Amino acid sequence: MYSESMFEGPRSKKRVSRKVLVRGAALFAALYAATLTATAQTPPAPSGFVGSNACKTCHADVWASFYKNPHYQALAAGDRPPDQTGCESCHGPGQAHVAAHGGKTTIGHAFSTMTPKETMEVCLTCHAKDLQKMNIRRSEHTLNGVTCTNCHSIHHSPSAKFLLAKTRSETCYACHASVRAQFEMPSKHRVNEGFMDCWDCHNPHGTFTATWRMATRPPMVEQSAFNDEACVKCHEDRRGPFVYEHPPTVIEGCERCHYPHGSMNGRLLRKPVEFTLCLECHNGGARGTRLAGVDLTTSDHNLLDPKYQRCTTCHVRIHGSNADGLFLR
Amino acid sequence: MRRTGTLILMAMAAGLLPAQQVLAPTPEQVGSTRGQDVGDYNITNSFEFGYRFATVFGNDGLFRSDINFGNGLRVLGSSLTVDSKDGHGRYFDELLLTTMGLGNDPYESVMLRIRKNRLYRYDMMWRENQFYDPGVVISGGEHLMNTTRLLQDHDLTILPDNRIVQFDLGYSRNTLTGPGLTSAEEFDTSSTAFPAFTNIRQQYNDYRAGATLHFAGFTFLVRRTWEYFKQDTVDSLSAPEGSTVPGDPSVLQTFARTQPFHGSNGAWLGTLFTNRKHWAVNGRANYASGKGDFALNEMATGVNRFGAEANREILVDGDAQRPTLSSDLNLSFFPTAKFTIVNHTSASNIRIDGNSFYTEYDMSTNTLTLLQFDFLGVRTVSNSTDLHYNLMKWFGVYGGYTFSDRQIRLEEAFNLPGVANGSGSSLYPQESTLSAVSGGLRLQPIKPWTVNLEGEVGHASGALTPVSDRNYHTLGGRTQYRTKQLQLGATYREVYNENAPLSFTSYSSRSRQAGASASWGFNRWLSLDTSYTKLHLDTVGGLQFFAPARETGFDSIFVSNIHAANAGVRFAIGRRADLFAGYTITKDTGDGRPTAAPAGATGAAALLDSVQTFPLTYESPMARVSVRITPKLRWNAAWQYYGYNEQFQLFAYYENYHAHTGFTSLLWSF
Repeated sequence: MYSESMFEGPRSKKRVSRKVLVRGAALFAALYAATLTATAQTPPAPSGFVGSNACKTCHADVWASFYKNPHYQALAAGDRPPDQTGCESCHGPGQAHVAAHGGKTTIGHAFSTMTPKETMEVCLTCHAKDLQKMNIRRSEHTLNGVTCTNCHSIHHSPSAKFLLAKTRSETCYACHASVRAQFEMPSKHRVNEGFMDCWDCHNPHGTFTATWRMATRPPMVEQSAFNDEACVKCHEDRRGPFVYEHPPTVIEGCERCHYPHGSMNGRLLRKPVEFTLCLECHNGGARGTRLAGVDLTTSDHNLLDPKYQRCTTCHVRIHGSNADGLFLR
Repeated sequence: MRRTGTLILMAMAAGLLPAQQVLAPTPEQVGSTRGQDVGDYNITNSFEFGYRFATVFGNDGLFRSDINFGNGLRVLGSSLTVDSKDGHGRYFDELLLTTMGLGNDPYESVMLRIRKNRLYRYDMMWRENQFYDPGVVISGGEHLMNTTRLLQDHDLTILPDNRIVQFDLGYSRNTLTGPGLTSAEEFDTSSTAFPAFTNIRQQYNDYRAGATLHFAGFTFLVRRTWEYFKQDTVDSLSAPEGSTVPGDPSVLQTFARTQPFHGSNGAWLGTLFTNRKHWAVNGRANYASGKGDFALNEMATGVNRFGAEANREILVDGDAQRPTLSSDLNLSFFPTAKFTIVNHTSASNIRIDGNSFYTEYDMSTNTLTLLQFDFLGVRTVSNSTDLHYNLMKWFGVYGGYTFSDRQIRLEEAFNLPGVANGSGSSLYPQESTLSAVSGGLRLQPIKPWTVNLEGEVGHASGALTPVSDRNYHTLGGRTQYRTKQLQLGATYREVYNENAPLSFTSYSSRSRQAGASASWGFNRWLSLDTSYTKLHLDTVGGLQFFAPARETGFDSIFVSNIHAANAGVRFAIGRRADLFAGYTITKDTGDGRPTAAPAGATGAAALLDSVQTFPLTYESPMARVSVRITPKLRWNAAWQYYGYNEQFQLFAYYENYHAHTGFTSLLWSF
């Protein structure tokens, strides 16, 4: 019926030759050398910059642990122009601040006095090139005035990564208390347990348009590398491709039947009893991919018989099947 | 200076600890002054080792499904950081290693980062989740064995700080293995479904390589991804299984099902980006090709529902493809410093097609041979424009319009090789459109106080399912008062999808969320954290079903009123001890009815009444103490209770449980 070769992926069996490796190494070396040359040709410093050494005189508490900060990299490099190095790369030229012996009004960028948009623009000076932040200007966070410093603490972050203002999901719970409530329900994704983070599914900096539902903007849900909903990044067995797709899964997304955060019902379902969920669509109404409507359950499905009240007991492959159009196997 | 840093750290810890609400490892911030210098590096370390316990009363299956903590020794958590003090370490400038739950907790993770400035950055995340699925209720539920999902991600960036070019390589692996339960409906489509064991074996390997080039103010990124997957799950029966339905003589005596599914996904991602003073552009194109080959061999023998000996073998093989293409283009304009316009265009195309050759044998006789071809295509184009204007420092508004057009094409074709002219095909095209208008404003009357209001109104035509959004609106508001010591917040959001008149094709839902939260860090030894959320949902839709005659006079109604509260208080006794107490409760009060169905209700009416609401209480108090023994050593103990209490039985089957869990541990940190 089938052969083993059917299951072999399209792996290339060509062996990488030594010549290719040598050429690759040469290209890498050339690019690296070009980089060093480019850094050596940095433009002269704009006026008003005094260097980070001047800052640490008064801000010793910040300076003491700044070498642990990812932003220290630019300072350690030692070859960047002053406007891209150390304190002044974010806070702007400090000459006036030093001359005035301090004061927020004398700092170019005193973040505590800046508008959300001003703060974001300063951060984007360097971070705009990141793929993850390409949609930040249209993200719900930006539209609602949530800016970088609302979630990130540059100098006093307790987070192991990302300089977050609070630890992990607590950063998000500070505003999204209802989401916290959902993760405290009996059936939930393990965020509070520390197994997952909100950014496993969401990109708080904004996302591209969804390829599911009506291309609306689900709340900053990040697509997988294969244009799918974030759910299949872990639940890959739900992705297929299947000969018999359950169309709402592909077209409308997993949320049509499941609550992604947490639910009072088993398996994150939207309803406690399966048949109530299924019958909302499978009632013979004129909707669905079949113009005559989503199929009505057949006449032998006597709903008073308990075995027909648990649909997935028989329709075990409800997310999609290769073997059976009714998802029975 | 060192003392100042310590005070800052402790003050931060005071603000953070109360938020922790699951009995996880003790937050490392309770440690004393952090860090020791070794040569040109600074090292911080914490290591918590202890014993975890769990005692469960009631439904063990649901406890295992919801919580799954067990007994035993654990490395509850650890953290190691090594940082070069001058940014010129010999092999690395930053090393970060954190672990959680190692040693058989149901949630285990390891995170590693190694970075050498200007040269490389390596990130690794390893996670293992041992979860328990009580499976189908008809099996009696509990096989008491865990299924294991193992996730690992490795990402290496070469020249991470380079301003011309960067390279990235990555590998991810996702496996799902272990026992599970499934069911098989055998001999005919009206028979009982028998429970069967399944030995789950799934493996996904994902390789990726990419490069980012910065040139003339533009950033180009190209990334290639290869994924290879295989599923080799086998279903079997360890002993004959009889029907649990009274009067049903069905018996499944032997059963075996193999269903290998192997394939690959390849993807290309390309992006382009630039950010200028008055405009910015970014675009993305992503193509992914997915394909898989499959086979299924299923054999069963036993007694059918009429009491006669029966056997059946099913053979299926075929393949399926799923190429997808999506592209996006963002055009941003900043006419003034206060005004931003963003236009976003997106197009995606998903095509899924495959063939499945099905052959069924009954008593060694070929009863059915069917070749099925299916195609499902979804093409979506959308465009949205957002205008964002900050009129004043304390006042900003935004508005937007989105239009989407989606075309679906479903083709079903079949061929019955044993039947003359036994072939046919059907084509079902469908088009849907969506128009939505949104808007909002942001107020900041005084510096610590912000107010946000937002709303959206949308209409979709040709919605795919009855429950899809058709005529909907959302309204939301949020206010926050934030100072360093005190945070107060309140939110409200409603999502209404109201469609009238009620019919099989119209469905209405009303969802409302309201909540308030408060966090107060009184000083470094006392802090409080609390929140309350009310989640309301009611839905109604038309119903049509058989019970046993065709019923059309009922509606599908569901009402949920969930009250969720969360409170935590942290109290420190000098530097000697930290105490934390917390409580969470999630309570669905349903629609207030005392019994699932009214007295005297029978038949379909009683059944539908009994599933309209499902009151339930889930609560979890907890307490934790951490005592300093020496500056580097602390003793910790914690307790957490879980109580799950359904008010109505679901199909005469209570799943209630309560459990005590906790741990005692030693934390070594510097």
